[in-house]
Amino acid sequence: MKYVFLIFIVFLCTLIGYIFSKKYKIRANFFQSLLYLCQKFDIEINYSRERLKNIFLNLDEKNKSALKGIDNNYIAFIDKEAPLDKENLFKGVNFLKDNEKDLIFTFFKSLGRSDVDSQSKELKNFQSRFEELAGKTNAENKKYGSLSIKLGLICGLMLVVIFI
Amino acid sequence: MLEKILPNEIYNILAKKVNFNSVNEIRLRADKPIVLLIGGQRTFLGFNGTTSNLKDAIYPSKIMIEDIIFRASECSIYSVNEQIKRGFIVTQGGIRLGIGGDIVEENNKIKTMTNFSSVNIRLPHEIKNCSLSAFDYLVEENKVYNTLVLSPPGAGKTTFLRDFICQLSERNYAYNVLVLDERGELDIGSHGSIGNFSDKISFAKKAVGFENGIRALSPNIIVTDELGQAEDINAVEYAINCGVTVFASVHCDSIESFLKKPNFEKVISDKLFERYVLLSLRKGPGTLEGIYNENFSRVRL
Repeated sequence: MKYVFLIFIVFLCTLIGYIFSKKYKIRANFFQSLLYLCQKFDIEINYSRERLKNIFLNLDEKNKSALKGIDNNYIAFIDKEAPLDKENLFKGVNFLKDNEKDLIFTFFKSLGRSDVDSQSKELKNFQSRFEELAGKTNAENKKYGSLSIKLGLICGLMLVVIFI
Repeated sequence: MLEKILPNEIYNILAKKVNFNSVNEIRLRADKPIVLLIGGQRTFLGFNGTTSNLKDAIYPSKIMIEDIIFRASECSIYSVNEQIKRGFIVTQGGIRLGIGGDIVEENNKIKTMTNFSSVNIRLPHEIKNCSLSAFDYLVEENKVYNTLVLSPPGAGKTTFLRDFICQLSERNYAYNVLVLDERGELDIGSHGSIGNFSDKISFAKKAVGFENGIRALSPNIIVTDELGQAEDINAVEYAINCGVTVFASVHCDSIESFLKKPNFEKVISDKLFERYVLLSLRKGPGTLEGIYNENFSRVRL
């Protein structure tokens, strides 16, 4: 019984570590998908002039899920079901910092407002900002993400030692 | 479609307090009263429906007008920039928005339009059988005459053309009809709007549309809206010389003014069109004033 309890302690601590690390992973995936979305916009707008809603709807499942509902919140704005403000756009999103929210909100606000050339230039600008954030969050994920799991595991093992 | 374009506060008034089916045009200008064209008569839109009192009229803001244009482009201005460069947007369902604003030029070419300050929303109407009183004069013994519909703006040219295409289809004249819809107004998407024997080329200039259409779709009849440029006339001549019947329209308020219209000298001297249908607003849009032959003698009315 004691051993089962100790294994449970190690498992629990590792799980807590994993939960902490997940936040970093979600952020890294989110910015990676945002970057992909930005590149996709640039291509679609330049070559097929595809409407925004269709671009969002045609996103693959992996990137769609990484965007954590922001795409659907924007579609709600396109469909006139909700106004475009931070509260509606970031509904259900709690892993972004305020300055990141400001940047992403400005990005969505600029979408579809100008001709191809101007839109493309704007997208390039946002692309470089998202590239920076994707690199930064990816590095954070590698550094702190795995660290959280390791710390959780070490913590669990230390508790085991203490209990023994 | 209009509910997706207009701000809710304006759409709700139009939907609840104004008879939508009778509205031909909605004109919105920044900080000026909204003007409705209903059955050829102008009136203001107020918070309680139509009004003749300026004080009760609704004054849209510039932001509201920009938002209407943004919404009409399905939130994708870049996708309709070619239309915006020509001063309009046509939405699904054939609603046409004429746009006023600042033109941006680059290398002597129009790049886009910005700073939108006014928008004129023209609502298409499908008036069943509106071409029926003229039909028998335009189609005789299975021959469709080359026909030009003359009318001032807003007097029902496009509605007439649309119904004529439908009448051909309903009467089972199995002609291959090519609809050259340069502004996207002819096919409003409703059931049977351009008949069962029609192909459509949209948003192409007439010269391109006539040439490609004849080559690719071998039509018997080409229907197109609003001839005006010399190149349009050349395209019509090309089609008629290819043995294709042309059914078209032109902005004009009388036979006399048509005879003076620039670019149409050849049309008149070579008798390219065999029938002229004159419409007016006298008794409301679509009033048939007369049908004329190639010598401009009345064949009806």
